[in-house]
Amino acid sequence: MTRMTRAFRWLRDRISRVSDKDIQDELRFHLSMEADKLERDGMSRELAVAEARRRFGGVDQHTEELRDVRGGRTMENLLQDARYAFRLVRRFPAFTAIVLLTLGISIGANTAIFSVVNATLLRPLTYPNGDRLAILYAQNPDKSLPRFSVSYADFLDWRARTRSFSGMAAGAGTAPTLISEGEPLRLTGQTVTSDYFDVLGVRPEHGRLFAGGDPATETASEIVITYAFWQRQLAGDPNVIGRRLRMGTGERTVVGVLPRSFDRDNPGVDVVTVFDPASIPNVDSHAQHMLGVIARLKPGVTQAAAQADLSAVAARLAEQFPDIAGWTANVFMARDEANRTLRSPLLVLLAAAGLVLLIGCINVVNLLLTRSTLREREVALRQALGAARSRLIGQLLVESAELALGGALLGLVVAHFVLQLIVRRAPTGLLPVDIGLDSKVLLFTLLLAVATTLIAGLWPAIAASTPRLAKALRDGGRSSSGGARALRARRTLVVAESSLALVLLVCAGLVIQSLRNILAVDLGFDPARVVTMRVNLSGPRYTDTTQVQFFRDLQARLEGRAGIEAFAAANTPPISLGGITTNLRLMGSARADGGQVMGPVTAVTPGYFRTMSIRLLRGRDVAWTDPKPTLVVSQAAANAYWPGESPIGKRIAFGRRDTVGLEVVGIVNDTRARGITANTPLMVYLSYAGAANIARSMSLVVRGRGDAAAIAATTKAAIREIDRTLPIYNVSPVTQVIDQSLGQSRLNTTLLTIFAVVALALAAVGIYGVISYSVTLRQQEIGVRMALGASSGNVLALVLREGGLLAIVGTLVGLVGAYFATGLVQSWLFGIGRADVTTIAGTACMLVAIALLASYLPARRASRVDPLVAMRGD
Amino acid sequence: MHPNADVLQGTLDLLILKAVSLEPMHGWGISQRIQQFSSGVLEVNQGSLYPALHRLVKRKWLDASWGTSENNRRARFYKLTAVGRRQLATETETWRRFSAGVEAVLAVHSAAN
Repeated sequence: MTRMTRAFRWLRDRISRVSDKDIQDELRFHLSMEADKLERDGMSRELAVAEARRRFGGVDQHTEELRDVRGGRTMENLLQDARYAFRLVRRFPAFTAIVLLTLGISIGANTAIFSVVNATLLRPLTYPNGDRLAILYAQNPDKSLPRFSVSYADFLDWRARTRSFSGMAAGAGTAPTLISEGEPLRLTGQTVTSDYFDVLGVRPEHGRLFAGGDPATETASEIVITYAFWQRQLAGDPNVIGRRLRMGTGERTVVGVLPRSFDRDNPGVDVVTVFDPASIPNVDSHAQHMLGVIARLKPGVTQAAAQADLSAVAARLAEQFPDIAGWTANVFMARDEANRTLRSPLLVLLAAAGLVLLIGCINVVNLLLTRSTLREREVALRQALGAARSRLIGQLLVESAELALGGALLGLVVAHFVLQLIVRRAPTGLLPVDIGLDSKVLLFTLLLAVATTLIAGLWPAIAASTPRLAKALRDGGRSSSGGARALRARRTLVVAESSLALVLLVCAGLVIQSLRNILAVDLGFDPARVVTMRVNLSGPRYTDTTQVQFFRDLQARLEGRAGIEAFAAANTPPISLGGITTNLRLMGSARADGGQVMGPVTAVTPGYFRTMSIRLLRGRDVAWTDPKPTLVVSQAAANAYWPGESPIGKRIAFGRRDTVGLEVVGIVNDTRARGITANTPLMVYLSYAGAANIARSMSLVVRGRGDAAAIAATTKAAIREIDRTLPIYNVSPVTQVIDQSLGQSRLNTTLLTIFAVVALALAAVGIYGVISYSVTLRQQEIGVRMALGASSGNVLALVLREGGLLAIVGTLVGLVGAYFATGLVQSWLFGIGRADVTTIAGTACMLVAIALLASYLPARRASRVDPLVAMRGD
Repeated sequence: MHPNADVLQGTLDLLILKAVSLEPMHGWGISQRIQQFSSGVLEVNQGSLYPALHRLVKRKWLDASWGTSENNRRARFYKLTAVGRRQLATETETWRRFSAGVEAVLAVHSAAN
């Protein structure tokens, strides 16, 4: 006996008046008295003892039965039941294995998705009172861009005129260069107003943060570093405060280190500097959108109230300044924004996992019902001996609980692997790095186990404990209890799980088809053998002119180098949601809006279209030799901006004061440059010479022969020849950039498909189970039919029809469910409607086919029985 | 325990109460005594006896305590409680009326033969 068992027994003896030992002592006493008597009657001692035992039956069994009579206490019962349930596990190993596997997989799926939800949606921001933080955006007049960056002028007016916020600060991303040991290193930086950290509520780990005052003088040379950067780049230098860092733009002094918590909400940020408005051209213009704005809501102010306040202010500004006529502003809570792209897919996946668990539970219910028929005689006996019904239900529930807990343990293992899959396949930066099975996840899993126990265990327990004494004893345990009624209940369960499985299958089918549509999209350019990388031409060495010269130089150097076919640069990498979107004025336009439009603009060097294999439809490419910057427009832009006219020779003005504009010299085919699933952008390509002042960071594109690494190496070597100190980053084949952009879609599709397949498999197991059961019940009927001349083919068809019918009813019910469920995945769909007939019919056929397959085994068994044996009904 | 418990169970209870009404007795003794009293006609199955004993204790008709048996073994003795004694009287009365009724029915039946 283990120490644990001993402890339990001791505890139980304290709780209960009569212990097991008492009962056993009493029964043993009886045995020995009986043996004595038999001995007196002339039997040998051994015989007498054996005979007494025979007459008496097992002491253990009697003890068990007496316990039922005695009633006992809850605690004692629980331990008792738990031990009894363990014995049952050994009695039905196959049953136990199937239940544990079913629960393990379905609980595991839920735990895995929940741990992602837990690490993202449920995780509060690290800032104190982070749920009061809001992010403010500008919104363009046609409201197609609800999260547009904010001009410094707008920011100052918002801060001065709104009443809802206790603080408002602004910042922008930067890409500073750190010169360390000769190697230029590109950092990720932020440049912020000096009260930024006060609004966030962030306190320094070491040193101080920005003190305010005049940014141009006092803090221009200060820099604050993140904890991660301090540890990684500066090796956690204890004397870091006051240390001078050589940056591309000059030396800066470290004044403070941010706390580690800051890294969690701002992953990847290395350094923070103070925003200097004077460094921004045209900073006074309300149309110079460039900042992200954060604000803290005053206590008691709701998001809606803050929105109303800001809207009113923005409306007055839009009236006051014609530059931003029609522009409005939005208030979003920072917490919601942090998980914007994750919320909807995660909730869908969580719901899908929930459906899988529900299907799993239904299967377990079916299995428990089947097993309880096998145990009917045992239950009847206990009832005959006076066990209370509540006691029996309790015991059966304890058994389910044991199975559910076992399933939950297995589920944690399953979750671990699913989670690994998720983390490995998720696009970089989508999920926090510290996703795992923490205490909240464990608690969730435990709750699932409890819920599973109740969902899957209660009905079978009540059904099994329903007094059917006489019948069970009469049938001598080989009963076909409940017969038709139980069968009907089980068929209903199977129909339910088939319909749930169909819901998942339809959703997965639609999403798979969408992904295939996405992969088949004509990008409008050829990503094969093109490598992209980014450089940032900042620092005193570069001016507008030298920037242009840099690329011209580089192109000349790369030309003719081994393995290089074409080279160019653009301000955004291919397939990028970002990029410039700005006000354009179509000069001399006859359009109703007077040619005032807002559209995407990409700055490109000559050769960009050739490098990316974008076809020039008419006119010519931009050229290094153009005396003034020129424009090329996409086909869609040409059609939209100058319908029915040739755009060649038309002019577009940038900014209100521009009266001359730039000339359109060519048309190229449309591309999906701003995201594969995004609408085809009305793209205006601007010769780089006209954008050098705003596009200091550029993405190079190099088409070559051979592998990407070789192309990258040749290009880097050529760059180093021009500027040794220039950091080169984000080096990647364009095909990989595209893959990354599809990463989340792929992952969502993979997970949903896995869930649907598991659901289908579980439904198949369920159908198999209920058809087997039905065949057993109908054995006599089948025997009679065969005796009367039915062929085994007839019997096969009979049984298959039953399985097929269940699946068809399930499908019909499932279609109703799918009608609602597909609404949830609608935003994932691309190039396919949510009521796509092919997908729905295909998945329905698949479900029915699987159901027939699952029915085939029991059907074959039924068709091969000997009619005589079957009719006897043994 | 349950109101719908069958007649035999009630009868067994009566026999047990009667057996211990003279002196406290252990389970084996009770089974022997019932057998003796009935001249071997009634044999009590242990499978029913002990559940019945525990049931009667739970109803407080019997009291159980550990003692030493005639051959110096540790045994559990059952003693009639005051409630049990009253119950015995009631049950005896009920049984007599019941068996008299049955007897009367059977007598009519034989006469008709």
